[in-house]
Amino acid sequence: MTLTSSREAAPAAAAAEEISPVTIEVIKGALRSAQAEMERLLQRTAMSPVIREKQDYFCGLFDREGRLLIGTKLPILGNILGPVLEQFPISEMRPGDVYWYDDPYLSEGGVSHTPDQVFVAPIFVEGELAGFTHSWAHFLDIGGMRSGSTTPDATEIFHEGILIPPVRLYREGVLNDDLLRTFLRNSRLPEMSRGDIRAMLASVELGGRRMAELFARFGVERAHTAFDRLIEQTRSTARRRMREIFTPGRYAFTELIDTDGHGTGPIAIRMELTAEGEHLTLDATRTDDQTRGPINFIMHPSSLQMVFGVYIIAGHPELMFNEGLLDLVDEVRLREGSVISPRFPAALGQRSITLARVTSACLGLVAVARPDLALGSSSAYSANKLRGTLKGSGAPFLKTLAIAAGQGARPDSDGPDAIYFLNQQNYPLEFAEQNYPLLMLTYALNPDSGGPGRWRGGCGVVREFRMLSDTATASLRMSNVDFPAYGVAGGMCGRSGRFVLNPGQEGERRLPSLAGGIELATGDVLRIEMPGGGGFGDPFDREPARVLRDVLGGMVSAAAALEDYGVVLDPQAGTVDEPATAAWREAHRRPVAMFHRRGYFDAAGWVAEADRAVRAARAAAE
Amino acid sequence: MSFPEAGLSVAVDIGGTFTDVALTDQASGRTWRAKTPSTPADPSEAFLSGIRLALGDAGADASALAHVLHGTTVATNMILEGKGAPAALVTTKGFRHVLSIGRQDIPRKANLYTWVKPKPPVPASRILEVGERIGAGGTVIEPLDEESVRAAAAAIAGMGVSVVAVSLLHAFANPAHERRVGEILRAELPGVMVTLSTDVLPVVREYERSLATVLNATVMPGVTTYVQRLEERLAEEGAGAPLMLMQSNGGVAGAAKIRLAPALTALSGPAAGVVGARAAARACGIDDIITVDIGGTSADICLIKGGEIGLTQSGSVGDWPLALPIVDMITIGAGGGSIARIRDAALSVGPQSAGARPGPAAYGHGGTEPTVTDAHVVLGQLPARLLGGRMSLDAAAARRAVEEKVAGPLGLDALTAARGILAIADNHMVGAVRVVSVERGHDPRDFTLVPFGGAGPLHGCALADLLGITRVLIPLAPGVLCADGLLAADLKAEFSQALPSPGAMDAAEAAGIVAGLEAQAAEWFDEEGVAPADRRTACRALMRYRGQGGEIAVDYAACPAETEAHFTAGHRALYGFTLEAQIELVTLRVEATGLAASPPVIPLAEGREVPVSEHAEVFIGDTPTQVPVVDRAALGAGAVLTGPLILTQLDTTSFIAPGWTGTVHPSGAILLTREEPRS
Repeated sequence: MTLTSSREAAPAAAAAEEISPVTIEVIKGALRSAQAEMERLLQRTAMSPVIREKQDYFCGLFDREGRLLIGTKLPILGNILGPVLEQFPISEMRPGDVYWYDDPYLSEGGVSHTPDQVFVAPIFVEGELAGFTHSWAHFLDIGGMRSGSTTPDATEIFHEGILIPPVRLYREGVLNDDLLRTFLRNSRLPEMSRGDIRAMLASVELGGRRMAELFARFGVERAHTAFDRLIEQTRSTARRRMREIFTPGRYAFTELIDTDGHGTGPIAIRMELTAEGEHLTLDATRTDDQTRGPINFIMHPSSLQMVFGVYIIAGHPELMFNEGLLDLVDEVRLREGSVISPRFPAALGQRSITLARVTSACLGLVAVARPDLALGSSSAYSANKLRGTLKGSGAPFLKTLAIAAGQGARPDSDGPDAIYFLNQQNYPLEFAEQNYPLLMLTYALNPDSGGPGRWRGGCGVVREFRMLSDTATASLRMSNVDFPAYGVAGGMCGRSGRFVLNPGQEGERRLPSLAGGIELATGDVLRIEMPGGGGFGDPFDREPARVLRDVLGGMVSAAAALEDYGVVLDPQAGTVDEPATAAWREAHRRPVAMFHRRGYFDAAGWVAEADRAVRAARAAAE
Repeated sequence: MSFPEAGLSVAVDIGGTFTDVALTDQASGRTWRAKTPSTPADPSEAFLSGIRLALGDAGADASALAHVLHGTTVATNMILEGKGAPAALVTTKGFRHVLSIGRQDIPRKANLYTWVKPKPPVPASRILEVGERIGAGGTVIEPLDEESVRAAAAAIAGMGVSVVAVSLLHAFANPAHERRVGEILRAELPGVMVTLSTDVLPVVREYERSLATVLNATVMPGVTTYVQRLEERLAEEGAGAPLMLMQSNGGVAGAAKIRLAPALTALSGPAAGVVGARAAARACGIDDIITVDIGGTSADICLIKGGEIGLTQSGSVGDWPLALPIVDMITIGAGGGSIARIRDAALSVGPQSAGARPGPAAYGHGGTEPTVTDAHVVLGQLPARLLGGRMSLDAAAARRAVEEKVAGPLGLDALTAARGILAIADNHMVGAVRVVSVERGHDPRDFTLVPFGGAGPLHGCALADLLGITRVLIPLAPGVLCADGLLAADLKAEFSQALPSPGAMDAAEAAGIVAGLEAQAAEWFDEEGVAPADRRTACRALMRYRGQGGEIAVDYAACPAETEAHFTAGHRALYGFTLEAQIELVTLRVEATGLAASPPVIPLAEGREVPVSEHAEVFIGDTPTQVPVVDRAALGAGAVLTGPLILTQLDTTSFIAPGWTGTVHPSGAILLTREEPRS
């Protein structure tokens, strides 16, 4: 591969004279509003609460060559269209066709777990293919071993619902009803799935209409010239920024996943980035093997580009989230059989755990290269399910519990407290109590969970509730329990989280952090304490007034104020003893290093320590 | 005294730069207008001097005033700028961080790595927990620990706050604990204001209810002081008329009610404009309109079908969702002061704005950034010399800004750059119009576009052309339409009650709640002095399918099957499908309206002549064209205007584009039409 990839020699240059920056900007606005309109339509007309309330969906547009024009800011997907084009040549596509898949293996990570459904439609202008439109959404149930389709006790993909390879649902506007009926027959919630499919199809169709209008207004050729330019705008800025961070050299970082829930752990994600001149190679081949438990993540190489892309594009709201981000790294090397490139039919349902650590590993590389830009690592959200029967009626219920964690601190601000992810809102407590057999006892920030630092990592939450059901079984999943989110530049790691059954009562016990089929009796209390994000900078450099504010607000305990931050304060009076603080900090200041997780490490030491932890665990297991 | 009645009504709208006053004689329909510089240090000064000016023109005395209507942005600005009074919040033990957690999301369009969570209006250090628990359905699970309330009061006393909010879990289903907490706090903390979630927003969802209560608390001291100051000024002036304030729901309410729930005024400014636009359209017999209110920094867009202004409970003010009923409109960051800039080789317009100071380069106050207004000046649509020289703009500065900051870097000429800036701003606004129309099942081409605000009438024809709309209505006084809106606004209040537990509608239970709400409405009508003939109430049921997270408001009927049929039809209209699931009644709401006076309209004298005072050079395409400039005050009813043409008046400038023809309506509005929609 040469320094400049083939994309750079796009026809954009030749057409540069023909299109004004204003037209480009107007077309950008049209793409943005088309995507927004598609997404609002999908959210409004879908039936499942996963789409309507939790907003687990997105829509996007592609040009006639299949290049991404506008996508999502979720660092998860880079290969939406590829699986369809591989199965169905463009030359055979017709107006009115709609394509569909949910098979993570045959789509090579186009989706990374089975509940995510993708619909793609080609757009034709005067008989010529002019682009593509797609919608993507998470369905509540598509079959599988437990309701909700994914569960930590799954060990192969066949436990996780029906697989739809890339297929054609509509041919020239005619529905393949047999295919649809077969899919719906495999869902525990067929009517909801039917409604969600209808909403997704409406959204795809709307996108096609809006694109056709855009082509009618500007012409297909002119629009594509604008697309070239928009992609190039993103590409050139993003590539330049990437190379400003990764100057020639070799950078290595390792991140650890706690467990697969089936006896393996920790699992290492090992990333090495080599910059030779402008050429960047990312090698993840030394990542640990795939696991029996469902944390395997089919990572298309483009997904890694997206992980960097989301970071690189932050602070550049003018740039489109498009194909230009798929070219940040010139070469990505993965190893088949590793946890990020698993072989069929490994189970994938809990792959978000792994995605979160992959993201954390990539940001770790940034931290190694540019300590001044480092971000504290973010803890991953906790996704749990409660299934059971109501008292009295005996009617079944399924309640998903999505619990927020703390985000990593930045070089100039604290990490946000209590974040689940992009969009994806929580379910109000009062609703939960109205609709499910639960009594909430606590919903608060988890004090001291945020990693101490000049900038503090965000706190996770604490949620504690009593089961009022007749019978109930829980699927639990929490990350960053054994290996909390690292701190950077002198900042300390976030504190880990845990599940506790019946805290403070007889029979109190900790529950595993990744497991299905946990029985809960009537009256049992489940306490979920979520981990926090890593800090940035030496906590002894944090202004005492901020520490005091955190203590008074319940984010930091008075003990931790002294121990972690070296701040002497009187919480009752609400005052800081400045001289005592200065003296304490003087006397107790300790040496810090670039990374922190229960101890400080420089970049090389960090990688060695991760390897040591993996070896120690393997030895203990044997 | 009743509302409305014959007599003089005066409306005062205080803007950032000017305070506008409109005075109407309800008997004759005669209207006098006045304009005076705003006095930000003490807005009541301009408030009163404006009223004096108008009264002077009318030859009347303050004692002749029957109503004083006022739109205030005091609460809005305090919320947007985070400058409300320090407040404390009392909540249920175990739930201190509900505001900090929020809805645990990062907004869809934000970036994971740069988004910063907005700081709650009340920091966690001033949130106190009390022992108590009410469960779903309103049952008391744990009685109120009054000692813990007294302990909270003692802690609050040491915080030096002037106001306390109270929001307890499930209080909407059983307000007993909240009321008792309020009593104890008032007794223990004399001189401190107390506001309860039950009084502000008695509906389900702990975060949104707590937030509305807390926002209400932070604006309470400021609004109370402000209202009191205005009332004192009026009393000193000898005006005995009651002061009525505009609310976000598009209606006015007496000052006493606003003092209790000042958050109701959070979006009163844009709401008043929408009401004014509806009144202007109604006077022309037009009921289906899309309003575009373009100010200096933002544009507010609202769709009105059949004369009905829709309300939403999922609006927001700044960073905060505000679940109080507000006029259903959307706001985007595109206005006359929006700055055009180039970054990463891309040209963008807004959301940064040059504001009132320094303002656009053309204003000559030292602004050097090119704005939308500067683009209009470069193209000549906004002549540099207006009203025979009474106003002037610095055209050279505008051109310089556009050339240096946009045209040069992009390698364009100034005209192309200026057209580009407008195209981008217009495109942005068109996107917003689509959201309120197409996305809600309306074809914008069936509507009349009503552009107003200082910058609206320059964009009207261009926006209509982009949308395929063939009718545009320019109100008589587009730049001061908020004052007209105040005069036209009805008195409005909503009374809501959430059901203790949502479920299938029970006719007797619902009827009981509705009777209670109607009694509250009747009491309010009495307090506000609304004559029986002018009282209107409508009852709405907020329903959902079991398990859904949001409700839709439909007409209530005593018979459950009928109400459910309204819900099913409403759900189908909004979402396109219905479910077999159980329909739950969540909240009942009585919307009370006291009809405003409709003074007789004094028709504009006929006058077919179009006196052209001067010509201005406007670039139509690349061609410099001499376009007639007409003083709007000189036009009579029936006058026909053919584009291209520039209309000037004190409060705004309108550009009638080529292909458009205008007729002056007897109400004073100008109706523009285009024969064929622009292809």
